Amino acid sequence: MDTIFLAELGRIVGPDGLVRDLGELLTYQSDGLVRLREQPAVAVLPDTVDQVQQVVRLCHRSKVPFVARGSGTGLSGGALPHPDGVLIVLTRLNRVLDIDIPNQQITVEPGVLNLEVTRRVASEGYYYAPDPSSQVICSIGGNVAENSGGAHCLKYGFTVHHVLGVEAVLPDGELVHLGGEALDSPGLDLLGVLVGSEGTLAVVTKVTLRLLRRPEAVQTLLAAFDSTDAAGNAVSDIISAGIIPAAIEMMDRTTIRAAEAAVHPGFPDAEAVLIVELDGPKSEVAVLFAQIEAVCARNNGWGVQVARDEAQRGRIWMGRKAAFAAMGRISPSYYVQDGVIPRSRLPEVLRRIRQLEIDSGLTIGNVFHAGDGNLHPLVCYDEAVAGQAELAEQVATEILTYCLDVGGSLTGEHGIGADKACHMPKMFTPEDLDTMQLVRAAFDPDQICNPGKLFPTPRLCGEVPGPYRAHPAEVAGLVDRV
Amino acid sequence: MPSRSQSLDIVLAQVAELDALAGAAIARPGSEADAVDGVVPGVVATPATPGVLARTLAWATETGHTVVVRGGGTKLGWGPPPRSVDLLLSTTAMSAVLEHRHGDLTATLQAGATLAETNRVLRRHRQWLPLDPPWSDRATIGGIVSANDSGPHRQRHGAPRDLIIGMTLARADGLLAKTGGIVVKNVAGYDLARLLTGSFGCLGVILTATFKLAPLAEASRTVSAEFPANAHVAAVVADLRAHAFTPTALELGAPPATMFIRFESVETVVVDQAEQAARLVRGHGGTSVILTGEEETLAWREHEARVFDRDGTIVKLAILPGELAATLVWLDATAKTRQLDCVVTGRADLGVLYLALDGAVSEQAAFVTALRERLPVGRGSATIQRADRELKTLLDVWGQVGDGLRVMQEVKRRFDPTGTLNPGRGPGGL
Repeated sequence: MDTIFLAELGRIVGPDGLVRDLGELLTYQSDGLVRLREQPAVAVLPDTVDQVQQVVRLCHRSKVPFVARGSGTGLSGGALPHPDGVLIVLTRLNRVLDIDIPNQQITVEPGVLNLEVTRRVASEGYYYAPDPSSQVICSIGGNVAENSGGAHCLKYGFTVHHVLGVEAVLPDGELVHLGGEALDSPGLDLLGVLVGSEGTLAVVTKVTLRLLRRPEAVQTLLAAFDSTDAAGNAVSDIISAGIIPAAIEMMDRTTIRAAEAAVHPGFPDAEAVLIVELDGPKSEVAVLFAQIEAVCARNNGWGVQVARDEAQRGRIWMGRKAAFAAMGRISPSYYVQDGVIPRSRLPEVLRRIRQLEIDSGLTIGNVFHAGDGNLHPLVCYDEAVAGQAELAEQVATEILTYCLDVGGSLTGEHGIGADKACHMPKMFTPEDLDTMQLVRAAFDPDQICNPGKLFPTPRLCGEVPGPYRAHPAEVAGLVDRV
Repeated sequence: MPSRSQSLDIVLAQVAELDALAGAAIARPGSEADAVDGVVPGVVATPATPGVLARTLAWATETGHTVVVRGGGTKLGWGPPPRSVDLLLSTTAMSAVLEHRHGDLTATLQAGATLAETNRVLRRHRQWLPLDPPWSDRATIGGIVSANDSGPHRQRHGAPRDLIIGMTLARADGLLAKTGGIVVKNVAGYDLARLLTGSFGCLGVILTATFKLAPLAEASRTVSAEFPANAHVAAVVADLRAHAFTPTALELGAPPATMFIRFESVETVVVDQAEQAARLVRGHGGTSVILTGEEETLAWREHEARVFDRDGTIVKLAILPGELAATLVWLDATAKTRQLDCVVTGRADLGVLYLALDGAVSEQAAFVTALRERLPVGRGSATIQRADRELKTLLDVWGQVGDGLRVMQEVKRRFDPTGTLNPGRGPGGL
């Protein structure tokens, strides 16, 4: 990277916005997928939209690739830096710009954290629905890039259903406004394709989000089952009964134990637990809750806990949301997969995963959004044991094959990123991928905006990713694995 | 007078060529009954398979013929009048409910299936595709998706773009592609289904669409309310929201100032919610009746007809929900000043309204222009959904699109470099 370019970058963002020190750059080598890392040539921390625009314009002029990054909690390497590029870190763009309760919306900068949105409007009786497990640290900009979900998207949808409009810097540095504060802006739904484009189409600089009124009542139930089959059948029965709960989550024995060890939510010692949450008008929740209790009983559910208050509800959800991080308690390393299956195929796919666990000798924990068939198998391994990391990767890939076999998807919410780009041809034909590239080319003809992500590339797919190595910052005790 | 853009000799030759290409009789000369906004298409082709449709489309692109896609033909008048329609591509021979995965609450439908027929099939498992745009007995899945059209149930279930999870399409160059899949949660690759939704047939031809479905509710009640003035309507909406009511539809109508507040759930719940809502209506000086069964169905049909079964201009108006009261006052006053008949219905809580306008064309044009001046880009829009040619020459049908237009044009250029698909008629004049 030439010195004139660097000097110009420094002029745009100022000395405290430019990171060139190798030690400091370590922080940015990877996102939540620490297995993949890359040293960015330089990182910038703009304070204003104007600075973002100037940085992107400069990159465009010089044909230098750039990658936007928020909190860096993504799990697919979507924010993996480019070795010859600029990493645009958006954490300083963290202002809440407008809270508009009469119109049920809020406008924020991309660095605002997901949970902060709800915090800012809770006193008015409103909240922001998408709730990824990382919501205390993940940023709205990252949520938009990944079309993040969360436990409650079963009833309320994903980020794409809650973004009304964005302001974004195109890869040539031009500012555009897609969507808006009102619904149905005339024109192509570019917003619909930008959300979930994993930072490959533009850098989002402002987001207007839809706020929801807090429901009158919320009821949360936890039930234990003697097999994941029984729990899976209970899920099918709930859906078949015409009930769409706010959330249906499942955890298996391995992840229950991990959560217990880490945060002590008081889960029963069972083969599987279901967490079912209903919300809505009081009278509706009461009627449907009784039906769900009956479904659990019919499927031999036991140890039913009904959250009596917000504290108990909080404890149940803490156990669920801590599950990933808690796996560190029982295994030195693990792969997280994010495959999706049609929800009626749950018992069958879980049985295949169980068999794979036996055949491979590796522990596979399962914690997932059962209501919408989004699996999160955690393949445990120990990198100190020769060959185990490679085996774990093979096992994780095998699970994705099971998902695709039943008509599912490679990813439900973590994104393709750098991690699963090579698997895209398993799900999409060359024509499908070519059609996606038409959109890419319209936004970013030079392919400088987060290149190497989402689409299979020879560079990524020619190489076999190495086994897990500890992130340097992790070794130094600076960060925990997400 | 409808006009045909090509001579009959040429048309007959093209019919023969397309039939040969398909290996079956799929084409015929267009007639006045096929006219698109006054333009008679040269050829009408009705392919029965995706492969034949794709070949037909590739032929049009290679030979430089313009194409308009038609399903039920309920929304063909949207957009500016076409300069030419060489080929009208009908999807009606591909109209199957391909798969209803009732255990997964999803279904895959061919573009030519009507919404009404689709929901007749889905009802067997007490599910439905929760869309209720106008003319659903004739409107097809392809057309509804292309226009991202919806109805009162948008309050609960959203628009097609919120429900679609996968799509297959034929590109202008004849390649077949898919996007998304059959699972309700999926972020693999770009979401082209959303891009095609609302693209008015200007990017590709939708062949199939896969949706998440909703269970049919066990019971339904509608509070049909009437108020002395429009001002009460906005107050009722705010109050329903403040008390966390969860209506599945929340409609207004004017004049006279009316509301339809629908609840769908289990019996005891809908009875309870409807009674509470009726009390709330009374508190705001309104009168109401609670409807169910046949009466309820009829009331909803009449509500749809108020705007959509009238002759004349239809304008879709999107505003910030908080500006509802002021907007209703403005519409009423301005219509009176301009001596226009203006009927309003629409989604009271979402700020999406439909206007039926009647009166002098010049006054209608002035009315829409003044309305647009109230709506800066991003904070609302007024698009013409149906109008006669005279009004369309006085007004840009779509209104201002904003600074995203450049990228939209570039997307159009990449998908359809020869300008084959519905040229000049798509949103923003794509």
